[in-house]
Amino acid sequence: MYHPPIGLRTKTLVLSLFLLGLPWLGYKYVWEMEKYLRYGQEQTLEGTTQAVATALHERPKLFDKQASFLKQVEKGRDLYAYPLNGPIQLDGKLSDWDEYSHKAMDYGSDNRLFLAENSDSKLHFRHMVGKYGGYLYGFFEVSDAQLVYRGRNSLAVDRNDMLAIATLAPDGLFRRYVIANLQDGWLSAFELPEDPSLDTPVRPENRIQGQWRKTETGYNIELRMPLEMVGSKLGFAIHDVNDARSRKVEAIVGTSATDSADNLGTVLVPSPEIESIIKGMGHNSSRIWVVDIHGRVLAKSGNLHDGGGVWAEAENEPQTFWTEFQQKYLNPIYYKILTRPPDDFVDTLKDSTELQGSHIQQALAGELASTWRLTQDKKAVVLAAASPIWIDDTVMGAVIAEETTHGIRTLRNRALEKLFNVILIVMSIGTLSLFFFASSISSRVRKLRDQAEQSIDSQGRIRNAIVPSPVRDEIGDLSRSFANVVGRLSQYTHYLENMSSRLSHELRTPVAVVRSSLEHLSLQPIDTEAMKYVDRAQEGVKRLSLILSNMSEATRLEESLSNAEADQFPLSKVISGCIAGYQMTYPREQFAFTAPSEPMMMLGVPEYIAQLMDKLISNAIEFHTPGSIVQVKLLQQAKHAILTVENLGPLLPENMAEEIFESMVSVRSQAAQQKPHLGLGLYIVRLIAAFHGGSIRAANLADGTGVVFTVTLPLQGS
Amino acid sequence: MKRIAIVEDEAAIRENYKDVLQNQGYSVQAYANRQQAMQAFTTRLPDLAIIDIGLEDEIDGGFTLCQALRAMSNTLPIIFLTARDSDFDTVCGLRLGADDYLSKDVSFPHLLARLAALFRRSELAANAEQSHEQLMERGPLSIDANRMQVSWNQHAIELTVTEFWMVHAMAKHPGHVRSRGDLMQEAKIYVDDSTITSHIKRIRKKFIAVDANFDCIDTVYGMGYRWDSHG
Repeated sequence: MYHPPIGLRTKTLVLSLFLLGLPWLGYKYVWEMEKYLRYGQEQTLEGTTQAVATALHERPKLFDKQASFLKQVEKGRDLYAYPLNGPIQLDGKLSDWDEYSHKAMDYGSDNRLFLAENSDSKLHFRHMVGKYGGYLYGFFEVSDAQLVYRGRNSLAVDRNDMLAIATLAPDGLFRRYVIANLQDGWLSAFELPEDPSLDTPVRPENRIQGQWRKTETGYNIELRMPLEMVGSKLGFAIHDVNDARSRKVEAIVGTSATDSADNLGTVLVPSPEIESIIKGMGHNSSRIWVVDIHGRVLAKSGNLHDGGGVWAEAENEPQTFWTEFQQKYLNPIYYKILTRPPDDFVDTLKDSTELQGSHIQQALAGELASTWRLTQDKKAVVLAAASPIWIDDTVMGAVIAEETTHGIRTLRNRALEKLFNVILIVMSIGTLSLFFFASSISSRVRKLRDQAEQSIDSQGRIRNAIVPSPVRDEIGDLSRSFANVVGRLSQYTHYLENMSSRLSHELRTPVAVVRSSLEHLSLQPIDTEAMKYVDRAQEGVKRLSLILSNMSEATRLEESLSNAEADQFPLSKVISGCIAGYQMTYPREQFAFTAPSEPMMMLGVPEYIAQLMDKLISNAIEFHTPGSIVQVKLLQQAKHAILTVENLGPLLPENMAEEIFESMVSVRSQAAQQKPHLGLGLYIVRLIAAFHGGSIRAANLADGTGVVFTVTLPLQGS
Repeated sequence: MKRIAIVEDEAAIRENYKDVLQNQGYSVQAYANRQQAMQAFTTRLPDLAIIDIGLEDEIDGGFTLCQALRAMSNTLPIIFLTARDSDFDTVCGLRLGADDYLSKDVSFPHLLARLAALFRRSELAANAEQSHEQLMERGPLSIDANRMQVSWNQHAIELTVTEFWMVHAMAKHPGHVRSRGDLMQEAKIYVDDSTITSHIKRIRKKFIAVDANFDCIDTVYGMGYRWDSHG
């Protein structure tokens, strides 16, 4: 199985990534909360619509009877007076209407009321009506190739291009008016008799004011009339006369026929009373519409942009360091995920005159309803609720309230911000503490590992005991059991190491018994035949006791090393003295010795260094090829002295380079054993080198002719 | 007739030594343990005591016994004869007032020579006669080979027999290097080199205790030691 090299710390960090699930959970939770909030907002909004509707129930005069009983309204025929934002300058120029121009209707051949035979009249016009401050405003942009004014001397007003207006006045009477100008300029309006067959003006009607202005394509009429003149039915018709001489009407195009009250289309003038009622609600956080049964807007108040409903309450928190920090650093991150409700969404319904939607249909069917919709630019969600307005058990209209969900979204964002803050803090604290915990664990484990590794050196000797950790957990346990193991192991090693000395000690007594007995025997008068055996036995015992003293030499050295006192001494002098001694001791051997001229001061015990040399040299002499030169070199490398002893002769076996320094290891062939040999010599060398803080290596010469021992000893800083 | 006491728990060795010594004309009492020996010593002290350190169940019984004997007599020669030859034990034994410390490897002739030397020293110490034939003078050092006495600047230096022979061997030919082997032969002991080294160290210490500037024993590394009168 593959084990990737990942540390505890990394693992813990990876595991702590699960903390990242917290924000997701929080997000889900806030999401749920938002659902409830939306539901709540729906309820509130429905409540609002009901409250408004309550104020409007059973007030028939607020509603326009005529239109309300129609099965359906027809666009173009049934007029709608748009609420205008300001008064219109009656100058015949249509620039005032620009902002409403999309609401203007084109009337053309489809709206022809009459076309004379053989006429090629192309008459068509754009028209709309609006309402401002008690007046009904309107304009007609007529395309007419031949503008024919009223004749200056003509009594008739219908033998020219003209505008006919018919209405069912609020007093219930059918009234007709005509606008026929002699020239460009202020309108000349006349009232016609009720009987549609009569075309003689009754009297000028100066309440109808405005301008007639010729244009390149025809002419414009801009007019206004007081609302009290206009009932719930209204019709406009443009009569087109092209031939100035015959002055025959060639075509009539109009919103509806103007000849009788029954043929008139309706006009809906948004009711100021309703508006004042709605305004009186003092409720501006949502937009409220009142629509009639055809979905035409009777009144409107409030603005979608003004607020996101009752939920958005600007909290003015004091500016603390934390909030500043959040705004500066955290919010940019949060709002990569979250969306701020935009203030610049497009409200397509802003100036609608007809509303549609399932909620309105349901409300007009008599039920409370609400819908959610996205604005056209997908930037905002609008909640709309509608409730019906009842008059005598029939639904006469509906109250619609609309709000964006900005309030909720702001709330949600704020909740998420707070949540993220908390989660960030929790996560960072959690991750940090986990990280530190893992670090402490891994550092403890590493420390334990280091201790374990240091407790035993490369040769498997116990160097120092593990200090058991006092911490009472599993790692402490492990450390204690390691300490135990190493302790027991070192006891056993110690036992083994002392084996030789105890063995020698224990054997000494029986050897002494044998020896003294043999001496007695040799003092006895015995025949020479027997004496021979006594001598041999004594020879054997001598060897035995030599072995024993050799065996205890290492132990004794260890003991004396442990309480040796180190002095300064010149290493090169000691070594050269030793070499001079060996040349006397081994007169047949040849030594080659090179050393630097510096004294090479070091701290230690010169006698031990001499002992080390003795062992190395006697080892070299034992193994060297007879007659070859034993090479001793001493040199200084930085702060270390390097002492090498080379001899030609048999090579070291493979893998024995370290072991030959162990106690009781000998790699020499049995044939070479003339003297008792326990392999303690090199062990002693290693002890002495280690005591001086140095080391020893054995290696075969590169050319394979012999062996080199290299002792490295630290020198004193000169 | 000299009375020698042997305290040794190993019966065979005890008997062997006893036989040898008796053959040499000493009167020998052998004891197997400290209690027996102490009982006998309280009644009458021997002329010389040979003691093993480990006595039956007492690991350091010999040391205890040596202390007790020293308390009874300042002049009684005491030899440790033991299988324990570590530096520590040697130093311990000599500190407790033993006159010499031999390992059980010692052969009978050597042992007898030691005994003779000790007896001679104690006798000469008892008899205040001075014979100057054996007197050796090396500057501030004077060696009386008969009484086995060494003094430095007229201060007597208390040396064990082994140490005495070592100093004697070095001072006989000042300036000549004496190898460890030579010293062993002179002192009639068979030990390894490191034991010789520690003996030398002890000798130095004893001289330095009398004269802080003592520096007459030179170490010639790899060869041995020499007496340097101009140290």
